[in-house]
Amino acid sequence: MLRLHYNLEKLSMGMVVGIIVAASIGGAVEIAPLFTIDETVVAPDDLRPHTPLELAGREIFIREGCYACHSQMVRSLADEIDRYGPYSLAGESAWDHPMLWGSKRTGPDLARIGGKYSDAWHVAHLLDPRSVVPASIMPAYPWLTRSLDTRVLPGALATLAVLGVPYSEAMIDRAETDALAQSRPDSDAAEDVLARYGDAVALRSFDGDPSRLTELDALVAYLQSIGTLTAAAQEELEEAGK
Amino acid sequence: MTDATDPGRRHSAGHHGGDRPVDPVTGHETTGHDWGGITELNTAFPRIVIWALVLAFSYSVIAWILLPAWPLGHDYTRGLLGLDQSEEAVREYREMERARADWLAPFASAEFAALASDAPLMARAMPAAARLFADNCAACHQAKGTGGPGFPNLVDADWLWGGDPEEIAETLRVGVNSTHPDTRVSQMLAFGRDGILPAGDIELLVDHVLALSRGEDAADGPGAELFAENCAACHGEGGVGGLGIGAPALNDGDWLYGGSPGQIRTTLRQGRQGVMPSWEGRLSPSEINLLALYVERLGKGNRNEARE
Amino acid sequence: MTGTLSISERQVGLALAVALTLLGLVMAAAARQGPMAVHGAIAAALGLALVFRLGGALYDPEVPAGRRQRFYDAPTRFGIALTVIWAIIGMGVGVWVAALLYWPEATPPWPWTSFGRLRPVHTTGVIFGFGGNALIATSFHVLQRTARARLADSISPWAVLIGFNLFCIWAVTGYLMGSTQSKEYAEAEWYADLWLVVVWVTYFVLYMRTLARRAEPHIYVANWYYLAFILVVAMLHIVNNLALPVSLAGARSFPIWAGVQDAMVQWWYGHNAVAFFLTAGFLGMLYYFLPVRSGRPIWSYRLSIVSFWGIVFFYIWVGSHHLHYTALPYWVQTLGMTFSVMLLIPSWASAGNAIATLNGAWHKVRDDATLRFMFVAAVFYGLSTFEGSFLAIRPVNSLSHYTDWTVGHVHSGTLGWVAMIIFGAIYTLAPQLSGRETMAWPRAVEWHFWLAVTGALIYVVALWNAGITQGLMWRSYDDNGALSYSFLQSVMAMAPYYLMRTIGGALFLSGAILCALNTRATMRRATGAVRAWDRPLVPGPAE
Ligand code: HEC
Ligand code: HEC
Ligand code: HEC
Ligand code: HEM
Ligand code: HEM
Ligand SMILES: [Ca+2]
Ligand SMILES: [Ca+2]
Ligand SMILES: [Cu+2]
Repeated sequence: MLRLHYNLEKLSMGMVVGIIVAASIGGAVEIAPLFTIDETVVAPDDLRPHTPLELAGREIFIREGCYACHSQMVRSLADEIDRYGPYSLAGESAWDHPMLWGSKRTGPDLARIGGKYSDAWHVAHLLDPRSVVPASIMPAYPWLTRSLDTRVLPGALATLAVLGVPYSEAMIDRAETDALAQSRPDSDAAEDVLARYGDAVALRSFDGDPSRLTELDALVAYLQSIGTLTAAAQEELEEAGK
Repeated sequence: MTDATDPGRRHSAGHHGGDRPVDPVTGHETTGHDWGGITELNTAFPRIVIWALVLAFSYSVIAWILLPAWPLGHDYTRGLLGLDQSEEAVREYREMERARADWLAPFASAEFAALASDAPLMARAMPAAARLFADNCAACHQAKGTGGPGFPNLVDADWLWGGDPEEIAETLRVGVNSTHPDTRVSQMLAFGRDGILPAGDIELLVDHVLALSRGEDAADGPGAELFAENCAACHGEGGVGGLGIGAPALNDGDWLYGGSPGQIRTTLRQGRQGVMPSWEGRLSPSEINLLALYVERLGKGNRNEARE
Repeated sequence: MTGTLSISERQVGLALAVALTLLGLVMAAAARQGPMAVHGAIAAALGLALVFRLGGALYDPEVPAGRRQRFYDAPTRFGIALTVIWAIIGMGVGVWVAALLYWPEATPPWPWTSFGRLRPVHTTGVIFGFGGNALIATSFHVLQRTARARLADSISPWAVLIGFNLFCIWAVTGYLMGSTQSKEYAEAEWYADLWLVVVWVTYFVLYMRTLARRAEPHIYVANWYYLAFILVVAMLHIVNNLALPVSLAGARSFPIWAGVQDAMVQWWYGHNAVAFFLTAGFLGMLYYFLPVRSGRPIWSYRLSIVSFWGIVFFYIWVGSHHLHYTALPYWVQTLGMTFSVMLLIPSWASAGNAIATLNGAWHKVRDDATLRFMFVAAVFYGLSTFEGSFLAIRPVNSLSHYTDWTVGHVHSGTLGWVAMIIFGAIYTLAPQLSGRETMAWPRAVEWHFWLAVTGALIYVVALWNAGITQGLMWRSYDDNGALSYSFLQSVMAMAPYYLMRTIGGALFLSGAILCALNTRATMRRATGAVRAWDRPLVPGPAE
């Protein structure tokens, strides 16, 4: 062995090949089977993709780096189930490009935040966290009151469709109007959003002002959708251990 | 191999016997290579490292045998223990539930009077209620239940929906203006925005509501008639509230949305529809009842004072 | 810089600078607005500055003959200057974001000053800006000295350094503008990722060509590590950053990976960014500067072999320890855990080899703050790898994951190991490259050492306490089987630790500033004298 190495270390290309081989094995063994073992990801039947408004909100979540403080991954541990709700399933994020599981909980996990608070609370909290939670150390996001730029949405949906998220032609074409309609429950187009994305979608003026479509609308719509795209996790927990 | 620098060559006997330089400090030979002044010793591989490697590898092998470990194309080795992490977690979670059962299960009954009078039970249950309140409710109602703009104070003597544990529990279960199918519904109409009342009338009503809140006898004031016609149906004669439809009393100094003329004007112009989420599904029925009793107790002190 | 290039090299450089300017203009014109347009403008401005610099010097006198008989140190000097600049930027932002967690009201109302946007500026600034420049700069030096050969050409070192720093600038300014892929340590958008591939290939080719000229047939251990760093980082970077842009004229892209596979790819990358960027490369640095400064031979060549291949082989398996108890399948977690435990052996073998190398030089460790930096680095390396292997055990990770314990571990590795070895290397290199015996202010090195050690210890100890407190508060049940603490109570419990961390960080930062000033003073007063023995044995490249 020693002699083998003694000769190898005289060959720069030998070292290169050796390093590449040694450093490829682990990744190949751990990553490739995640695509071949079926039980790794079971996409739930009732899983729906994000609406355009929610997707826009997700982009804002990413842009502002909320994931630096908030995980979206309830681990399979009793205390986490107790505090946050059903542990997260791989299927729940099957269409998430990228995933936002996070690695640090400076603030609480958000995997089950959808429906926990009211829109008005989220608005107040995002604009000034300490107005509702005096001890909070979360930063304020006063600029989220600006108008939402919806022009990027059709392209975003189309790109995700290429990557396998089930966005139909109609969803892509109508992305901009759907985004607006979701925040205007009284508008005619609102029904179309439900027709395309399912009745569970929240049609509300999320920031309380239906006359303007703002970044707050998008971010709050996204927060309220987290954990509600499928009931699979809830169902699995209820069935398990019965 | 006869390379003079071959490290595999036998270590020469004695310190100075070999043809490669020996390090005087350690007494070990160098490998004979020189990289611009850097040399290295051909010190034998320390035994302890081998043992450590063997130990770490044995640990790993045992883990691989016992636990799910190696992928096999479309499957993986399950391990002798047959562990599944979510099953494990659920088992532990159910264990905790069982540990709580003896004091939490009674709350499923909703016999509030009996529960409240069982002092040892309450003593065991209230810390859990406090934690549930802090993690779920304090965001809106504040840590001590004192509320804030738009979020009702739970420790004063005023109730929008009634202060009996039964009613509180129902509020928690279905929420107010929530997404629950049986939600409690309440709405303060947008008298200004929806053109129900002209701006002048609204100004009169603002003054009238302010007068009511100061406890003045405003029965003859210019706003009184408007109030009786438009508002009393929800807020009661003279704004006493308490009709159990979510409309607050206006004849006290406590405000949900604020008592400055400007804030009252906004309320009258744009209406209000506060949302309290429904907790059914997120919290168990016992937890909801537990919280109802906790909330009822939160303001006991204040409420007794108010009654005196 | 231009003075060290021949006229024909200046012409090639000029052509490259024109190409960069054009690339920037095309990007700016295609995007018209948003981060990509700004980045195009930055590239064009940089290209233009280089055009003027090279164009202005195009007909300056030809370089003196005989430069082939010298090592090419100008890029190293430039790289060291960049290293200390990024140290101040990256750690300055680190101290600032640390302060924000204690004092969130201090956040100004502008989007770009928000914690979530500044945090990746810190991580990218320190890992890539500070760490990356240090690695590149020292690799040029180490490669030439151990190969006894001059760099294979004179253009590509500059291309690598300038290109790499353009990547860093694109990355951090992108985050400030809200442009990010959200993948930790790989947040930069698709075009920056592509650019880095080009830079990296150039780096690799330069490295191999120079290595091929070595005088000693055997490749020195330090170079094995640098080579592993270059190769594996390329592999990780490409796979993790595979993404589909929404439009070629815009910054936004979506990673091709989703959900659990994305998580695994991300942490396969994320962990090995630690392994091959923050560890392998720096072990290369340690393997050179420690024996040079202590004047001692490496303690055991045989141990080096085992630790090197152990590190290269084991490390790549362990990324899944970042995903314990998540929706990642259990079997991958088991592999991540067991390989992390086995990884401890080669890691400690490296640390042990380094420390044993100091046998016979302990008096120098006592007297020489520079060598002490390296010694402390090796100790912290041992400490943080032990801690890492411990944290990788599932039940331990159930407590530590998501908490500040991880951040404490990170900084025992980065402050204690990465930063200390860099400082040790800089204090060895700066005088040598300036033809001096010592740094301009030798006593400042001593000061820096104590500031750094105190700062790092305060930081790490505070966050151990913070993280363990947090983890215990989250999971503790009372006698009645109910969770004892609300989340917010755990947030409030962090305040004193966050304050201490800020103070520790500020001490560490002041040391780094001292280092920057000292380095500047040292390199400013360069004598130009070259030690007679410090020259290539192999003739330089054909002009
Ligand atoms: C500096 C860290 C930090 C950042 C960045 C941050 N948060 Fe928070 N967040 C917190 C903390 C701490 C809390 C707990 C205190 C509170 O409720 O404000 C919290 C609470 C929350 C909650 C309430 C969760 C619950 O269950 O009570 C939501 C929702 C939330 N944050 C959303 C966001 C969004 C959206 C962003 C980005 C736009 C964001 N946060 C950025 C630290 C942060
Ligand atoms: C998203 C904010 C929010 C959260 C979280 C919240 N509430 Fe409420 N709650 C409200 C609002 C708003 C109202 C008033 C609704 C209305 O306008 O009638 C309310 C009303 C109530 C009432 C009725 C008060 C009355 O005067 O009749 C009770 C009791 C109550 N909440 C208790 C709780 C408890 C217990 C929790 C936690 C499990 C909780 N709330 C969580 C917002 C919230
Ligand atoms: C349809 C029933 C209804 C009618 C009619 C009504 N209100 Fe209300 N009002 C409510 C409800 C319900 C609320 C509480 C809203 C909430 O909790 O979000 C409220 C809230 C208010 C408040 C805010 C109290 C606070 O504490 O901030 C004021 C002031 C008020 N009403 C005045 C009036 C006046 C004056 C009129 C007549 C012009 C009127 N209301 C008519 C239902 C009504
Ligand atoms: C002046 C010294 C420093 C201070 C005050 C500091 C502060 C911080 C802070 C506040 C965070 C965010 C933690 C959180 O989100 O809770 C952080 C993260 C991080 N820092 Fe530093 N830092 C310093 C130096 C460094 C250096 C020198 C490096 C690397 C060479 C580094 C690498 C990192 C990394 C990798 C993270 C991300 C950790 C994670 O995601 O778990 N830091 N630092
Ligand atoms: C044997 C060596 C090591 C092992 C096994 C190891 C293991 C770990 C583990 C288990 C975590 C926590 C993951 C989590 O719970 O989220 C972690 C995080 C981290 N470690 Fe190490 N570690 C090692 C050495 C190092 C060194 C030397 C450094 C720095 C120079 C370092 C830098 C980091 C960083 C930056 C993170 C944070 C990643 C993130 O969440 O963003 N590690 N490491
Ligand atoms: Ca992290
Ligand atoms: Ca990237
Ligand atoms: Cu790791």
